[in-house]
Amino acid sequence: MLFEVAGLTKSFGPITALSDVGFHVRAGEVLGLIGPNGAGKSTLFDCVAGLLPYDSGEVRWKNKTRDLFYLPDGIAPWAAQPVDWVLRYAIGFFAGRADLRDEVVQQLALGPFLRQPIGTLSKGQRKRALLAVGLLTPPAALLIDEPFDGLDLRQARDVATALRAHAARGRTLFLSIHQIRDAARLCDRFVLLSGGRVCGEGTVEELAAAAHLPPDDLEEVFLALT
Amino acid sequence: MPSRKPPFVWLLEKEWRELLVSKSWWVLLIAMGPLVGVSFIGAVHTYAEVSAGQGGETLSPLIGIWGPTFSACELAAVFLLPFVAIRMLAGDRQSGAMKLELQQGMSPLWRVAAKSLILLAGWLLAMAPALIALLLWKLYGGTLWAPELAALLAGHILNALLTIALGTATASLTEHPSTAAILTLAVTIGTWILNFFGAIQGGFWERAASYTPAAMVAEFQHGLVRLSTVLVSLTLVAAGLALTAVWIRLGVTLRRRAMEAAALTILATAAVFASVTATPNWDLSESRGNSFPRAEERQLRTLRQPLRIEVHLAPEDPRRADLELQALSKLRRVLPGLRVDYVAATSSGLFEQTRPGYGEIRYYLGGRSTMSRVTTAEGVLESIWSVAGIEPPKTDDDTVFRGHPLAVQATGAAELFCAVWPVSILAGALLVRRRFL
Repeated sequence: MLFEVAGLTKSFGPITALSDVGFHVRAGEVLGLIGPNGAGKSTLFDCVAGLLPYDSGEVRWKNKTRDLFYLPDGIAPWAAQPVDWVLRYAIGFFAGRADLRDEVVQQLALGPFLRQPIGTLSKGQRKRALLAVGLLTPPAALLIDEPFDGLDLRQARDVATALRAHAARGRTLFLSIHQIRDAARLCDRFVLLSGGRVCGEGTVEELAAAAHLPPDDLEEVFLALT
Repeated sequence: MPSRKPPFVWLLEKEWRELLVSKSWWVLLIAMGPLVGVSFIGAVHTYAEVSAGQGGETLSPLIGIWGPTFSACELAAVFLLPFVAIRMLAGDRQSGAMKLELQQGMSPLWRVAAKSLILLAGWLLAMAPALIALLLWKLYGGTLWAPELAALLAGHILNALLTIALGTATASLTEHPSTAAILTLAVTIGTWILNFFGAIQGGFWERAASYTPAAMVAEFQHGLVRLSTVLVSLTLVAAGLALTAVWIRLGVTLRRRAMEAAALTILATAAVFASVTATPNWDLSESRGNSFPRAEERQLRTLRQPLRIEVHLAPEDPRRADLELQALSKLRRVLPGLRVDYVAATSSGLFEQTRPGYGEIRYYLGGRSTMSRVTTAEGVLESIWSVAGIEPPKTDDDTVFRGHPLAVQATGAAELFCAVWPVSILAGALLVRRRFL
């Protein structure tokens, strides 16, 4: 286990966004956080990453220290800076791995727009550039909110391949995905979140068994458990 | 392999690049040329007229040229620099860059320090037209007195730091840059109200008003450096930047940040009150306009008993301002233990004119007392010698400032500041955009 979330609760005034959320994350796995829009996925990531204070509960790390990098969805940082410089900055500022830079650029097909400022990129291009930033950072766990948002089918497949390659090297990936089919292609295990509560945790087979359904359709399993 | 440059250097580079793409900074740069130029040309013209008309007796370039010229910097620091500072911080928050960068683990205080250093560097570049004015003045045959110019520059740098601290603090406290801009201007207007209120009410408010940015800059513009002013300004700068660092943190509850901000405010207030007790000060002006003649100062320092002055003048009475400016401010510098008691029943004094004793300035020293109505430096000194029972010292004529009259036209200044500078800055902006980024 890399870290564990236990009893996490977060409210915004009268609205409870997360209620007694608990699950664990294993080292080197690709864990998918699945849930419909408004389930509390981004709030959960913000809390786990330490960017949002929570009301109760805790995030317990095996080695006592937080070792993650979180890439939120819907951000457009360093808009005037070219992609090439942003990648160098990510490596320099976050003490990332310069030796991975070319590989990441190739995996995410960033070559054609390395000299373009981030702000001039399309949504999909910007998403890939920011994924590259995340992949170049050194922490053991990488949390990505909606990694496929804004990507077309081919790009989503390429990104999934790239993420798989990094997971194979031992990087733990925790991905928030609202498209269940995308998640099923990529993730080893899943945490199902609905209405701010965890409705299930495990592999497709484990979740299907809990729902008394065959393990061939994660969508049906998700609907049955939530 | 990790980068050889420390993360702080990377952060500095990033902030510098962000400043270079900031339109508000380029607008500030462009505006500074004409702003300084118009002030400088006007000052040179007036200086020439006075030099030709009066023979230039006691004409000081500090008061005649650099005060007005650098007031353009004060204007820019109040109305343009805050927007550059707010944009630098609010931009990071709105774009999401802050969410990523705060995960690096670097202390928020270092992050704020990096931003402030770059903003200060940006401000120093924006002050280039004022330095060009110095060169022009030298070319015209004018004189420069390094200590008073150093004081002047230090004052404007301190003022810029205050603006940067205020701008970043309001940007961190508010969700939207426009709210931060309104809040910054509200604070600035608040200091103007304090100045106005201090002038009417006198007492504590008058004392407090002497530490507003406008009053601080005015002191430096006269070549006067007071340690208390410097310490109060630096305390306010540190408090503003620390408040920014407290407030930009993510993942910390509002309650905790509010508690820390309150503790910081208490600490800063205590530091300000401690700072105002510092008495050392230096008159760096060539004309020694903030001081009595040296011989008089030497003699004043020989007074062993505490001097008390009772002034029966209302706060709005122009004679009181005259007395403060001409004599008491100079006297306080020599006699830190001086006690001045103002006695007035009203703020304007209009209805007190007929009161017996109104307008009197009474001097008490070692059981003796004397009374005078004179508000000039010479009159006050005469009363002090009288109450102390000592002979006035002989003034050393060699040390008297004779002035530097100069009747010249500001040749080429209009073209330089209003055409060459803006065009060069525009060209620079385009070049930077194409080649640097």
